[in-house]
Amino acid sequence: MELPTLRPFFADKADVLQEILDRYPPYGRRSALMPLLWEVQRAERHVSEARLQEIAEIVGVTATEAKGVMSFYSTFHEHPVGRFHLQVCRTLSCKLAGADELYRHLVAETGLVSGETDADGRFSLQNVECLGSCGTAPVLQVNDTYHERVTRSRCDELLAQMRADREPPPTRERGGDNVAAAKADRMVGERRAADDAPVVPDAREGTA
Amino acid sequence: MSTPTGPITSRFDPRFEVTLYRHVGVEGAHTLEHYLARGGYRAARKALTGMTPAQVVDEVKASGLRGRGGAGFPAGVKWSFMPPVDGRPRFVVCNADESEPGSFKDRYLMEDDPHQLLEGMLIAGFAISAHVGVLYVRGEYYLAYERLQGAIAEARAAGLLGRGVFAAEATEETPAVAGFDFDIVLHRGAGAYICGEETALMNSFEGLRANPRLKPPFPAQAGVYGFPTTINNVETFCSVTHILDRGAAWYAAMGTADSKGTKLYQLSGAVARPGVYELPMGATFRELIFDLGGGPSESAKAIIPGGSSTPMLPWREDTLDLPMDYGTMAKVGSMLGTGGVIVIPTSQCMVDAMANVVRFYAHESCGKCTPCREGVSTWLPKMYQKLLAGLGTRDDLDLMEDMVRNLRGTAFCPLADACAMPVAASFQHFRHEYEHLVDHGEAMFPPRARWTA
Repeated sequence: MELPTLRPFFADKADVLQEILDRYPPYGRRSALMPLLWEVQRAERHVSEARLQEIAEIVGVTATEAKGVMSFYSTFHEHPVGRFHLQVCRTLSCKLAGADELYRHLVAETGLVSGETDADGRFSLQNVECLGSCGTAPVLQVNDTYHERVTRSRCDELLAQMRADREPPPTRERGGDNVAAAKADRMVGERRAADDAPVVPDAREGTA
Repeated sequence: MSTPTGPITSRFDPRFEVTLYRHVGVEGAHTLEHYLARGGYRAARKALTGMTPAQVVDEVKASGLRGRGGAGFPAGVKWSFMPPVDGRPRFVVCNADESEPGSFKDRYLMEDDPHQLLEGMLIAGFAISAHVGVLYVRGEYYLAYERLQGAIAEARAAGLLGRGVFAAEATEETPAVAGFDFDIVLHRGAGAYICGEETALMNSFEGLRANPRLKPPFPAQAGVYGFPTTINNVETFCSVTHILDRGAAWYAAMGTADSKGTKLYQLSGAVARPGVYELPMGATFRELIFDLGGGPSESAKAIIPGGSSTPMLPWREDTLDLPMDYGTMAKVGSMLGTGGVIVIPTSQCMVDAMANVVRFYAHESCGKCTPCREGVSTWLPKMYQKLLAGLGTRDDLDLMEDMVRNLRGTAFCPLADACAMPVAASFQHFRHEYEHLVDHGEAMFPPRARWTA
């Protein structure tokens, strides 16, 4: 049996590799380092030593240098994360909306603490810093998807879906002018108003 | 009511209209079709086919636009720092690494109106004669990344990016436009706050660890790959689009003496209706928090005016009446920052809140310089742990105050200040909470449930 890591990741992806390298000028080949790390991680949920070595050779640096870069960033993983990587923002605005409780709830439900992956590779849990969802706090990021303004009941629904191996669809919550703009545009459509008065949004409606 | 005269400083002034956020929240607004149907790329056409680069720079200077990333440096002035064209590559960079806690405007701009940003970058590229734009978006913003990817592909297909943009529309008088080449490289970060620092971002883009670089040289002299570079925030580029579309005078008619135009304020924390609100510069906290945000959701005690690094202001009637502009915030000892307004409820222990903020900066310190690595990353969070464990003393408080005083201005980049400033402000306004904690061994306001069922 061939071990998956023995075969170079980009061996059968020449076009993908070329597209990434072509984004940058010849003198900036090293810029491809992070995009290549992303490419591997999205496929394998981590970047192994062998993959790192391969990427380092492609961009022309030592594996140590490449590792120095990779380890700088908190979203690159040396060890595999789960099929559902749960990232809980814990910074101030999310904290004020109950992020500490959200995290403890996930700890209780998954049996994991931040940094761990469960034995069957379904869930991994990570405490992260500000995700830029302060107006729709608290936020839970599952893989690439934001689930905004996650209540306890919503959190339980999401967990149930993931336990059934379903990737939950994003719940994009909105507030502020995100709502007002939607309304203003509808109004323009209705009456071609030239004198649009500023629209004051109603409370927390308008999930887009 | 008659139409008011003078500068527009209120959202409720009938002359004000939501501009930057006009299309945010509208289904399908991220497509080129939607954008073009509403005047999209009109500003770029005007600039590239009817103006010289110098005229574009002058227009932005005249508008009074100040950088929206936090520092508030005049955008047009920054552009004019670019050296004369000498055949070397030049870059225009968009800093879309939004990660200052309390800031979340750029995410929605990129998700729902990516072409507004691309148009602004195109105009800026023309103004500084850069043929390559670098759009560095933080790794967590995956939807924004996908939307930008799609928008760039659409723009390329429509000839709005690539070789000879608007070349077909060149006239005798404006031969310069006969092929303005401009393309954008989209680059994803991977979760590091420090990449919001402009030179750290450039290192990150080049495939290096994101340590900040020594300045000078500034990016205009040596930026991306060591070549002349201008870097601005997402909202700044979006503002440029409208300044070119409607003119500097339209923009400068909004705001106060030192802060012009329309701005995205982000409201979070203990308020009834958090979210992003667009207001003219100089609107008051009261207008944002009460008239738009529906008021505090519970008794409040402090306002963080512009993201977690900006010193907090006590919740008072006179604070609420302050205009949210650069000059006023500086005068009261704080900063406008990104305009990320966080309302701190009375029931939240201030020591606990600051421990959270300090932990953020501790996590994000790059470790390059000693004051930040040892002070911000190691010592301060440990002191907060000690305090919250009920083991602190009055001497510890004096020591902490002394420490943050000594952190100011001693680190390699502004990250250490970003941590020291809010801590100092919390001591200034809420020292009694620190003292209560060390005297009694427990917080004045114990932790309470905040999560919605």
